[in-house]
Amino acid sequence: MKVDLMAFSGHKIYGPKGVGVLYVRRKPRVRLEAQMHGGGHERGMRSGTLATHQLVGMGEAFRIAKDEMAEEQVRLTALRKRLWEGLNDMEEVHINGSPDHRAPGFLNVSFNFVEGESLIMSLSDLAVSSGSACTSASLEPSYVLRALGLNDEMAHSSLRFSVGRFTSEEDVDYAIGQVRAAVEKLRELSPLWDMYKDGVDLDKIEWAAH
Amino acid sequence: MAYSKQVMDHYDNPRNVGKMNADDSDVGTGMVGAPACGDVMRLQIKVSDDGVIEDAKFKTYGCGSAIASSSLLTEWVKGRTLDEAAAIKNTELAEELALPPVKIHCSVLAEDAIKAAVKDIRQKRDS
Repeated sequence: MKVDLMAFSGHKIYGPKGVGVLYVRRKPRVRLEAQMHGGGHERGMRSGTLATHQLVGMGEAFRIAKDEMAEEQVRLTALRKRLWEGLNDMEEVHINGSPDHRAPGFLNVSFNFVEGESLIMSLSDLAVSSGSACTSASLEPSYVLRALGLNDEMAHSSLRFSVGRFTSEEDVDYAIGQVRAAVEKLRELSPLWDMYKDGVDLDKIEWAAH
Repeated sequence: MAYSKQVMDHYDNPRNVGKMNADDSDVGTGMVGAPACGDVMRLQIKVSDDGVIEDAKFKTYGCGSAIASSSLLTEWVKGRTLDEAAAIKNTELAEELALPPVKIHCSVLAEDAIKAAVKDIRQKRDS
């Protein structure tokens, strides 16, 4: 793979938490500034002695992931497709990022005219995250979504869904039902939805921001 | 994020959600916030000839605390005079809803909204 550096989290592929891997290219050499100082382990890049049991756990998780990867890709892509198809017939609902060039387990969707945090409140049975400022400590929306070209409003209206090894079709169908109901309820409360329905061009309004 | 019972109550059962005709001579409309900030509140009040708020309606695009702040506000302004309504402080709303520090700005926006609505109806009546 043509990369200089690549980071892997153990827990993201169902290994233990608290351990990960950083691949560092050798030729041409990538220079790193050490964050952990001490005995000079790993050619001075990362001093410290690691927990053997965690390394073993992570190694095993990677082994399983490699074994199951091809099958998982197909299954996750199908689940994600099922999720998207359960949502995309709603008005003003948009996928963020490329619909094709993405890791199979993730779906990031903006539900226009509804704010992300208020959506999450209705989805207490689901673990989702939002790109909204309200869920961050600062009031800035997700810089990742901004880098993808979303304007602030769409970033505020976004939700990120993940499907994984233990997600079933029933889970996806349940999520679809919950999300649809929540979006409908919150659009009833939304002045922006009102204005959109009345044919007002929201880009032309001069907002009295605080 | 832990929401207070009061915020959840307003979120699950928002009061006075709706829309009035902004062109009516007895309706004052205050629209504050911006989509780019993630918070927009539209507050409308129906005011009698002698300056008493007979009805209030709101719609809010924003987080649970923003929805709760505007919902509570509509409850409070009904039956009050324009002066009384414009005197409502965001701190009173924040206290009633037990808003955490990071959500205080939602109550500030609600205070702005009622002031804007009062200003609007007064402008209409003066002209």
